Amino acid sequence: MKRRAFLGSAAALGAGAAIDRVIGPGGGATAAQAAGSPAAGAAPIAFEGAHQAGILTPAPPHAIFAAFDAIAPSRAELATALEALSERARRLTRGYEALLGAPGEGPTPDSGILGPRVTPDGLTVTIALGASLFDHRYGLAARKPRALKPMTTFPDDALVTEECHGDVMVQLCANGEMTLLNALRDLMRATRGSLAPRWKIEGFLPVSKEAGKPRNLLGFKDGTANPDTADRGLMDRVVWARDGEPSWAAGGTYQVVRIIRNRVEFWDRVARQEQELMIGRDKGTGAPLGRSKETDDPGYPSDPDGERIPMDAHIRLARPRTPETEGSRILRRGYSYSRGLDLSGQLDMGLVFCCFQADVEKQFEVVQKRLAGEPLIDYVVPTGGGYFFAPPGARDSQDWVGSGLFV
Amino acid sequence: MLRPIAVVAALAAVALAGCGAGKGSGGDPANPPAQPYSKRSTAPGAVARVTPADYRRPIATYKRYVGRQLGTLLGEVAALRAAIARHDLAGARAAWLTADARYESIGAAYGAFGDLDAAVNGRPAGLAGGIRSPDFTGLHRIELALWRRRSTRDAAAPAGSLARAVARLRAKVRAMTMDPLEYSLRAHEILEDGIHLQLSGQASPWSGSALVALRAQVKGTSVVLATLEPMIARRDSSGALPQARRALRRLSTTLARLERAHGSLPRWDRLGQRDRELVDGLAAGVAEQLAYVPELIDPRPPRAAQRPFGDSG
Repeated sequence: MKRRAFLGSAAALGAGAAIDRVIGPGGGATAAQAAGSPAAGAAPIAFEGAHQAGILTPAPPHAIFAAFDAIAPSRAELATALEALSERARRLTRGYEALLGAPGEGPTPDSGILGPRVTPDGLTVTIALGASLFDHRYGLAARKPRALKPMTTFPDDALVTEECHGDVMVQLCANGEMTLLNALRDLMRATRGSLAPRWKIEGFLPVSKEAGKPRNLLGFKDGTANPDTADRGLMDRVVWARDGEPSWAAGGTYQVVRIIRNRVEFWDRVARQEQELMIGRDKGTGAPLGRSKETDDPGYPSDPDGERIPMDAHIRLARPRTPETEGSRILRRGYSYSRGLDLSGQLDMGLVFCCFQADVEKQFEVVQKRLAGEPLIDYVVPTGGGYFFAPPGARDSQDWVGSGLFV
Repeated sequence: MLRPIAVVAALAAVALAGCGAGKGSGGDPANPPAQPYSKRSTAPGAVARVTPADYRRPIATYKRYVGRQLGTLLGEVAALRAAIARHDLAGARAAWLTADARYESIGAAYGAFGDLDAAVNGRPAGLAGGIRSPDFTGLHRIELALWRRRSTRDAAAPAGSLARAVARLRAKVRAMTMDPLEYSLRAHEILEDGIHLQLSGQASPWSGSALVALRAQVKGTSVVLATLEPMIARRDSSGALPQARRALRRLSTTLARLERAHGSLPRWDRLGQRDRELVDGLAAGVAEQLAYVPELIDPRPPRAAQRPFGDSG
């Protein structure tokens, strides 16, 4: 660990000046690019900030969600491992000259899979903590974020234990898969012996010229009704945890990750109109049924009995757009996944659902309860995931995500 | 089954190819320019390079250890054959676990054993026909008989061949030559084999005895490290050896705790997720630390600095 840390800081010295993430009017990250940065032409998304990157920042086409369990033998070594995550993440997201190794210096310091020069490639590393980390092992129980708890098992779930929960969630997002794999290998290596991998899943978004939100593997536009990340006041209400949180946690957010398998063969055997009535949107345009554009308001007041958009259509249950239900909005940031086959020869693919909110029970779980028993549930099967808390961002180049837990 | 010789060759190739990777954006990335040898940082001051001659004493010590272990193994295999002969399935399984762990504790010598290693410890992987191949014999063939087939009868013939192979090994060990480079690499790679073959569930799928094997591999690694300690310690400016030792101790302590909690080391495939992650994570942590050891005591002469690809002159 010491040697790795040494190599990391040595590399950081050569990697150019620190770059500050600027939250622009778009709410997404823009970056002031340092002269002489190795990342010329590919602006890094800075690791530091009031909030962590990878939450409001636009979702690039690739992601890995990796859950870990802490096996560090002491509280101090857990802190060292979490600090190492941030230290390596800072370097990975900024870009660097890779250390490929030199005679007599032991194992190759960097994986080298991106060649000698590693560009930022839109990489974000978002670190979040599960409720189990706050058990008796590390004496953190008194610092647990107010609303953090293990993921609820909902009536329609078919959870696979091995792919649920975790002490630490690392969400990696980038433009390219190799960038993600380099980052994952680097972070795992830096924390070997302290953080043991529990489960992981890789996700992707379509690279499409189609306007609007990306399509999911059911063939429908997904994420259209997401709250506007440029609206700071809205983000303060929807995303950032505030009321009643321990002081270290202010500015963090609750992350829900759910692996939701889509029964795509079955879904493809359903007529388009039936599919559209289950979702509530036109499959071609993405518009709410009876409307013309994807971004059109569904106009529920003019359809009180569900003649146009059924009362149990997915978008209507998820967000009824009534004054009473607007408090349960969530910020979704999901990815599609595809991996292998099951014993029946069917494709294992679907959605890595991911959302951020200020309170899991008052937001995600309220939405989830409204969706219980929806017609779509025959075609989607939640199989894994967990609840996590993403602490506020690292304040500066010395700070690290989660440091407030250990002061 | 990882063939140790091939692994060594592949690793040596990697190590050589890796030499000289480094700074500078010029040159062909596939053939990176060399760092001057003088920049080596791990053998500071006046500590001389290791030469093959430095390995004489460690290897002699290790060979005596292997000879003693093989002598014990011979008796354990005889006990295994006896249990099989009296159709005592439970007794045969217990004897098999003891014998298998014994063989796992001498992993630095596999390369020197040649074909006899496959006769003792061969795996069905890589054999046409897999478990039905006539060439599948040795400990794991017996494991298949005793666990999956619950048959002592099916184990009788392979147990006879096993006893003959171990006897031949025992007779051979004194005259056996061990390559210093391979020996230095095994300090790290016994555990890599443990992770790759045992903790993945491949090596002992029917007995589920990965933890028993891993414990023996930890012991075997410690023996190798002890023979090399004087050589390593003089060159170990970054404390790789103490860190590796600490990591090994933590793994041993965890295995001992699991044994106490379960009465004996539990089947690997029955261990709970948290405990499995703990063992996986600790073993990986050991490997990460041990990886620094071989280069400190590399017995090969330094390679001449290579000219960057495309350099004129």
